[in-house]
Amino acid sequence: MSTFAEHLRALAPEALAALLGARPDLATPPPGTIRALAARASTRASVERALSEVDGTTLAMLEAVVALSGAPRPVDRPHPGGAAGPAGRVGPSVGDLSTALGLDTHAAVEHARRLGLVWGGSELRAAPGLADALGPHSAGLGPALVPSDDPDAPDVADRAVVDRLLEEAPPGAVAVLDALTWGPPVGRAPAEPGPARSAVVWLIRHRLLVRGDAHHVLLPREVALALRGGRTVAIPPKHPELVPVPVDARSLDAGAVQESLETVRLTAGVIAAWGANPPAVLRSGGLGARDLRRLALDLETTVERTALVVESAGAGGLLMDDADDPPSFVPTSAVDEWGALDVAEQWTRLAASWLDSDRAAWLVGTRDERGSLRGALDPASRRPWARRVRRAALGVLAGLDAPGRVGAEQVHAALTWQAPRSAPPLHAVQACLEEAELLGVLSSGALTTPGRALLHDDRSAATAAMERVVPPPVDEILLQGDLTGMVPGRPSAALAETIALTATVESRGAGLTVRFSEESVRRSLDHGWSAEDTLATLSRHARGGVPQPLEYLVLDTARRHGQVRAGAALSYVRAEPSALVGTVDDPTLRDLGLRQLAPGVLIAQVPAAELVARLRARGIPAVVEDTHGVVLHAVTAPRRVRPPRQRSAAEPDPGARARHLHRVAADLLGAETTSRAAGEDSSVNGGPSYPTRADRRSSADEGTAEPLEALATLREAVAERRTVILEIAGPDGPSRRTVRPLRVDGGRVRVVDAERETELTVAVHRIIRVTFEGDE
Amino acid sequence: MTTTPGGPLIVQGDKTVLLEVDHPDSAAARRAIAPFAELERAPEHVHTYRLTPLGLWNARAAGHDAEQVVSVLLKYSRYPVPHALLVDVAETMARYGRLQLVEHPTHGLVLHALDRAVLEEVMRSRRTAGLLGTRLDPDDVVVHPSERGHLKQVLLKLGWPAEDLAGYVDGEAHAISLVQDGWALRPYQEQAVDGFWHGGSGVVVLPCGAGKTIVGAAAMARSGTTTLILVTNTVSARQWRDELLRRTSLTEDEIGEYSGARKEVRPVTIATYQVLTTKRKGVYTHLELLDARDWGLVLYDEVHLLPAPIFRMTADLQARRRLGLTATLVREDGREDEVFSLIGPKRFDAPWKEIEAQGYIAPADCVEVRLTLPDRDRMAYATAEPEERYRLAAAAIGKNTVVEQLVARHPDDQVLVIGQYLDQLELLADHLDAPLITGQTTVRERQRLFAEFRTGEITRLVVSKVANFSVDLPEAAVAIQVSGSFGSRQEEAQRLGRIMRPKADGRTAHFYAVVARDTVDQEFAAHRQRFLAEQGYAYRIIDAEDLEKDPAAGSAEPTA
Repeated sequence: MSTFAEHLRALAPEALAALLGARPDLATPPPGTIRALAARASTRASVERALSEVDGTTLAMLEAVVALSGAPRPVDRPHPGGAAGPAGRVGPSVGDLSTALGLDTHAAVEHARRLGLVWGGSELRAAPGLADALGPHSAGLGPALVPSDDPDAPDVADRAVVDRLLEEAPPGAVAVLDALTWGPPVGRAPAEPGPARSAVVWLIRHRLLVRGDAHHVLLPREVALALRGGRTVAIPPKHPELVPVPVDARSLDAGAVQESLETVRLTAGVIAAWGANPPAVLRSGGLGARDLRRLALDLETTVERTALVVESAGAGGLLMDDADDPPSFVPTSAVDEWGALDVAEQWTRLAASWLDSDRAAWLVGTRDERGSLRGALDPASRRPWARRVRRAALGVLAGLDAPGRVGAEQVHAALTWQAPRSAPPLHAVQACLEEAELLGVLSSGALTTPGRALLHDDRSAATAAMERVVPPPVDEILLQGDLTGMVPGRPSAALAETIALTATVESRGAGLTVRFSEESVRRSLDHGWSAEDTLATLSRHARGGVPQPLEYLVLDTARRHGQVRAGAALSYVRAEPSALVGTVDDPTLRDLGLRQLAPGVLIAQVPAAELVARLRARGIPAVVEDTHGVVLHAVTAPRRVRPPRQRSAAEPDPGARARHLHRVAADLLGAETTSRAAGEDSSVNGGPSYPTRADRRSSADEGTAEPLEALATLREAVAERRTVILEIAGPDGPSRRTVRPLRVDGGRVRVVDAERETELTVAVHRIIRVTFEGDE
Repeated sequence: MTTTPGGPLIVQGDKTVLLEVDHPDSAAARRAIAPFAELERAPEHVHTYRLTPLGLWNARAAGHDAEQVVSVLLKYSRYPVPHALLVDVAETMARYGRLQLVEHPTHGLVLHALDRAVLEEVMRSRRTAGLLGTRLDPDDVVVHPSERGHLKQVLLKLGWPAEDLAGYVDGEAHAISLVQDGWALRPYQEQAVDGFWHGGSGVVVLPCGAGKTIVGAAAMARSGTTTLILVTNTVSARQWRDELLRRTSLTEDEIGEYSGARKEVRPVTIATYQVLTTKRKGVYTHLELLDARDWGLVLYDEVHLLPAPIFRMTADLQARRRLGLTATLVREDGREDEVFSLIGPKRFDAPWKEIEAQGYIAPADCVEVRLTLPDRDRMAYATAEPEERYRLAAAAIGKNTVVEQLVARHPDDQVLVIGQYLDQLELLADHLDAPLITGQTTVRERQRLFAEFRTGEITRLVVSKVANFSVDLPEAAVAIQVSGSFGSRQEEAQRLGRIMRPKADGRTAHFYAVVARDTVDQEFAAHRQRFLAEQGYAYRIIDAEDLEKDPAAGSAEPTA
């Protein structure tokens, strides 16, 4: 069993199925062959995806596997003096890893095996592609030493040997090693002669450092491990400690009620406001900042909160871009169903759609990379990972033994531990917790019972838990002589409507205090209620009756309501009242829409000219007057249109014209030169030497592999240090070379041609076929 | 009426606390929250309290801690109390007393820090520059004794109120005792004196007519020291003197008057704000009075009117006990926090209606009479300059007839007509054939008229705003207000106070405000009434036309 593909081929069907289950990207679409599967599993993207789900211990273990592959056993080295190379090509065992990490790694190894990131028997091997994904200097360790030609060279992998050597080291040498021991293992070589330089030179001479390039030195893996005492990490990785601030469990849910009710109230407010006046959709697809601010003002809350409510309602399908011309955001038909629900159920739906939405509400009001303001409902504020962050962050709180508050930093640290390769940014975690608090999913930073149920996708439990704490609606209001009123609880729907029409809310919370004013009472009159209706409605809800001052206020406002009126008319008639007798009732003039406003004053719904013509036809000698009341005489001016604006007749400046022509000519010439140059370039570079598509196809027919498979084979070859036969499409047709691949990245393969003793870089797209040497 | 189950309190997220008055536990809840919550409004059904930093620090100063406050809120609240609010209460209260003003055995007055970071923050503030002296050690810094008041003020503004443990000078002892013959301190008066004495310094808020002078006298007796009393004007000074002679063991020789007319300094000296704030050539010439004796107690009458210079002077009197008296701690200039830091926190407060219920002040019926202006006046009003409008509306001629009708409804009562504009008042005095008292009336003449009014020789009196304060008219049962200082809530309350002395036969007092409809007069009236409405005095509104048709209209008792 020498390759990853063979390993996969040897797996039991259940094990293979388990792997496909653990890494869904390997199964869709179904790979054609095991080799294709192995190839897919070795791609950078797939390995990254698998790595994104491993926790801190597993990641450290994987780094150790990569770092220790091909190295002598870290502590008890069975072959002292045994050089690295084919003989040392062994993977670490679980025990080795446990020693290297300073903790038991059995579970982590099993986990990684299930994910197909390590394979092999007692000697574990990293899956191809893993080393690339983890980057250079895995675990902060440098390259292995090249075996020395001198059989008597000291064994620098032995701590005792290193210590002995260092006893004679020049000053500064120990400090250099100390700095590089825990990585990164790359140091800058001092250019100037001096004690530092001589220390480095001494270290290189004694094989305690190796030269990387002209300016850098590297600490060899063996030396680092010897200095680290065989460890790959300085401190055994462990779960960060959470220090929750305990929160009173009894008041926990109750505390969330207010925010929950507020969320529902605000959502209903948005629906009502936009149902009446839908705001326009910006060209970018979002909501304008001004519309959002206005909405926040109407709803008496902050812009941030309004943005969250709008986003949650949008995610819940309550608001949508109507795609009209021009488009606007309009409540969907789903709001009517939502509106009829009980308040607890309404909350559950909103909170659930927030929890699973991919909308990043916290981005509203920030600027994007081009500096433009991000609006609410902006299609660009979609973050596919938002859902995962929310669930993960709330999951941290759900995992506490007792309800408690944990700061965003701690939650972030826990998430970083859970998946170091895909930790969300701190600000997103913070925003998620803040939003959860505003929605009532958290209360004082601790997860509430309804929130917990939501997290477990149990909506009915969430609703039930919310119902338990939501106070029952109250249908009465206490009205007082100072024109205030108080609802001792959550107002019922009918009462809430009455209040909205007659009073201004002063304070919201568990109860509601309102103030009546002329302005607020006028709303009910505008809504078509009479003073008597208003008083009757109020007294139906009022426990102690309507106090006299309020009654007086309502009646007094009604008295003045409608005293001054305005309307629209297209024209008017004014005359001595006697001159207009019978005009209004004349059936022949009915279509003029005449109405008498006062004796001698009529308005009409037709233009003045038509009105005058009709009145004259009926024998009333009407004339037209202008806006100042001056009679316009019948001498109408003949019609004219405005002539087009004349160009200025000024004498053209001959100099300017000449300069203009000159510039045009120069531009033309410039363009010519450029295009000729471009033409020459293409004739030089565009070579007929490339194989045609048909050529490539014909040679690929005999080739083994899809490009992915070829890459996988090459990666394995790199990991195994094996030689492959490479068929390359060159300018002179395909060629065959026996090479040992060194590195695969960025679409290029670096190989050593063993026969010609040269290194070369081959572009991946030129590779026709890759075969392990000896497989043929 | 049904009573909702659960506690009587509703605690709102905006830090208001609503108390349902009809709830069986409301009395207990009121007592429990009184030490830390400020009563904001007290209409008939629901009283609104507010949790302010000032109020919470007040409670700390009186020895209550955050745990107590939180447990009271939790105990009486009907609904769960927002957690954030409880946290905020605890945090606010924890700010008090991190710094202490203490008497150092060798260095004198010292600001001592229990929290070094706070001291550091305070010392770095630009506002404390010049108030603090050398730093003795990391926790102590010398305070210039003269800056004690100023420093306290600044610390309050910075949000780190200091606990003043430096104590008070005893002052020159002078035996004063109450002579309780035929009268006794009322329970609330005793509570007020206890509250003040326990706290050291502070303000007592009592409704007009509830016996603030007696609280002052009792405080003097408790102190047993020489006392400086600062009052608003000379008439008020004389009344204090008379009241002290009647209620205490003090004799005429022991009480001095320091006013424009006389400059006596005696063991008990009554001075007017005016004389103290008189400046000659840019300096306050009568400041020496403050140091003339080793006063053991300084009394501020009508503390809501304290002028700014007195605040500055008071800043220097921090070593002496200070008592402020007022009916309404509402300052139109919003300087309540200066009263808090310079005079002291509120030590006692009682809603007017509660004292009324105990029978110590007369129940009052407040009526607003709305007068529709004739078209001619309305036109004049509509075309007037904005600054002239109030005067035009308030001094409308039509009000004279209304006042006559109102006076006619109370033939047997002592009636006061109060107004702002002299020409209007002169006209009214003519109409009613009643004497007029204005700022120009001599003190002697005023006292004569007041005496005659008191004895019932004259039953109608027209007064300008000179009568707003501290005029003691025992038997006035009806007050008619025709105009006022725009929208002053303060003035309205004081004017109502003129008729709140309990009547011998327990009659209801009547307060009428005559207002011109659809003008700024009506708007100002609404603003003026707010304080009283919040104290539970519901104004009924009647139309002047109804008054004409049916003289009895509006005289029915309120139905609410």
